[in-house]
Amino acid sequence: MLDAQHGAAPVASVRDLKVYFQTKRGIVHAVDGVSFDIRDGETLGLVGETGCGKSVTGRSFLRLLPVPPGIQAGGSVMFNGHAVCAACAGVGCGACGSTGRQAGRDSSVDLLGISSEDMRRIRGDRIAMIFQDPGKALNPTLPIGAQIAEVFFQHRTEELIALAGLPADTAGAIRRFASQSPRFGDGWLLALPGARAQRRQVEAALAKMVASALAETQVPNPVKLMARYPHELSGGMRQRVMIAQALACNPDLLIADEPTTALDVTVEARILELIRDLQQRRKTSVLYISHDLSLVRRISDRVAVMYAGRIVEIGATAEIFANPRHPYTRGLMAAAPSADTPRGKLAAIRGTVPELVDPPSACRFLGRCPHEAGACRSNDPALQVVAPGHSVACFIDHPAPSGERPTYDRVTA
Amino acid sequence: MQLRDYILRRLMVLPVLIIGVSIVVFTLTRIGGSPVGIYLSHEMTPDEVAEIEARFNLDKPVWVQYIYWIRGIAMGDFGWSGVAAAPVADVFPLKLAATMELAFASGLVALFLGIALGTYAGARRNRLPDHLTRIVAVSGASLPQFWFGILLLIIFWAHIGIAPIGRSDAAIFASIAHPTGLYTIDAILAGSPTALWDAIWHLVLPSITLGYGATAIVARMMRSALVEELQQDYVDAARAKGLAERIVLKRHARRNALVPTVTVIGLTFGFLLQGTITVEIIYRWPGLGRWMADSVLRGDQATLMTYVLFTSVLFLVVNLIVDLVYANLDRRVTLGK
Repeated sequence: MLDAQHGAAPVASVRDLKVYFQTKRGIVHAVDGVSFDIRDGETLGLVGETGCGKSVTGRSFLRLLPVPPGIQAGGSVMFNGHAVCAACAGVGCGACGSTGRQAGRDSSVDLLGISSEDMRRIRGDRIAMIFQDPGKALNPTLPIGAQIAEVFFQHRTEELIALAGLPADTAGAIRRFASQSPRFGDGWLLALPGARAQRRQVEAALAKMVASALAETQVPNPVKLMARYPHELSGGMRQRVMIAQALACNPDLLIADEPTTALDVTVEARILELIRDLQQRRKTSVLYISHDLSLVRRISDRVAVMYAGRIVEIGATAEIFANPRHPYTRGLMAAAPSADTPRGKLAAIRGTVPELVDPPSACRFLGRCPHEAGACRSNDPALQVVAPGHSVACFIDHPAPSGERPTYDRVTA
Repeated sequence: MQLRDYILRRLMVLPVLIIGVSIVVFTLTRIGGSPVGIYLSHEMTPDEVAEIEARFNLDKPVWVQYIYWIRGIAMGDFGWSGVAAAPVADVFPLKLAATMELAFASGLVALFLGIALGTYAGARRNRLPDHLTRIVAVSGASLPQFWFGILLLIIFWAHIGIAPIGRSDAAIFASIAHPTGLYTIDAILAGSPTALWDAIWHLVLPSITLGYGATAIVARMMRSALVEELQQDYVDAARAKGLAERIVLKRHARRNALVPTVTVIGLTFGFLLQGTITVEIIYRWPGLGRWMADSVLRGDQATLMTYVLFTSVLFLVVNLIVDLVYANLDRRVTLGK
């Protein structure tokens, strides 16, 4: 479809995604027909202001929306998982042709259609997520190590048993321990002399796996860190822990929902560097959600601009920043201050985001757009290709079914 | 170790607090009138009254009397109970055992049932189980114990006739030894199923009456705490890790929801203790509560002062335990300085 001409198979394809919320005022169209691809190994930046639906889009990949009041109104999120190369764990070696993925073991599923049990197996293993505020996304009552360990319990039971030196057909309380699915009475069973030794082995193997996951994020002294509680760490350290947890199982896709918004600028730079570094080594695809244009410009291969539940412009980062077509994208870029901006002169987009209850069949940017014309009031522009790999939803670049088309020259007051 | 230091420090403050409480108890009781009243009868002459007062040192200044009282306590003499017609120190342990058995039975039920109900309801917010639990909880918190207890008594004792009254069957009581004074434990020690069944059967109605309100309070607290925790980011983060909903609920949300609930559970203990008075009177339970009610009515000051002093100490200890549990659940809580 939109990005098909670019060859490489996308790791995920979102098609006409619609997520509505039932509220007292009516049904809010938080995400209203969003389509895009995330290509294998790329970073796609999803930008837009607060309330434009970017977080809801990101969370839809993991079905982490409250239902009710959320309504999955339609569309699909196809996920093409690739098995990670067994020889190099995604780093890239001769066996896999430096792709880090096993060829021919792709599985394609619609994340919105699978059972919740299948969804659970994908969460944290094939698709992981980093949250905005690491201080809130870590459980305050559990030590760091125990929280990361849960990912391994959940998705790496076999590896855990193998690493502990136990036979692969280990069953009973030990297996239940290694998969964090205890039954009533397992506590006593595991306290028996034989079982206790095996449990210790599993615990030791687990500690090894957790420590190496933490070490990946360049934290000093990972073993010591495992016993600490989230409140004892700085914001940057917490986010590193979150990243370690998210990347523990080598996911194909990482959803990063404003991971640096809660951090200060110097820490932000280091966290971004870390994410980029890990991503490049493991060939993980990243959906990077942010409201910060300059940040997205630094880390993304491609950028999608969201406005009022729609993607209004999508394309390669360089192309978008060199040649923004949608008036909203242009407005955003003009609003971002640079070193050249004179003091006290900050450009702003006039008006506020429209309420998304029963949106009319017109351009969503109507009323805030400086170039609006007759066509914008009676038609709803769809995303259309304006240049290779660059699509825009605005009549400025493609013909409108009826009415006068907007132009950049014509500025409405 | 930080924890051991903390416990030691708290225990060292304990005597100071007890002295303070004892002064308050003594003063308040003495404001209520002279303790000599319980020994008097209408036929006594003023001389005879003065003689009794002199015998019990009641003619001395009040502060001297206080010292006599404290010195007595230090030597294990809590005074003479006019109601029980025996030294307070002799009767107190027996009555205490009866009350403790009742309070523990209802307290444990309230603790586990309250947390379980609250978790169940909180995880199913605004659905049918939540509404049903709400009905149970609101009625539990608002039904007066004296009314609810008498209601149960009318139904199960007077009409159906299956519920017993009192604490045990006389014949069964006599059949086994009572080293602990807790009849259920005694029955287990004696290996007598009949006695155990008898003890439990006698406990059922009183502990339901006493525990209902506490269960309701704990359940409501647990429910609202859990609802709040389930909206936190870390719950979504736990789900994003691929954890089953059962683990998200038990290991993540419930653990955090227990933090505020533990405080309420500590307070509920006072609620239970206060409730024993009503419940013991209704079910003729031979515990502290009934003894206290009689002592209040007949001006048995030695018993009253012992009771208030004891419950104050109990409260201090329970508070210490609550603080320790609190710190263990939530590591952000720092003990002491």
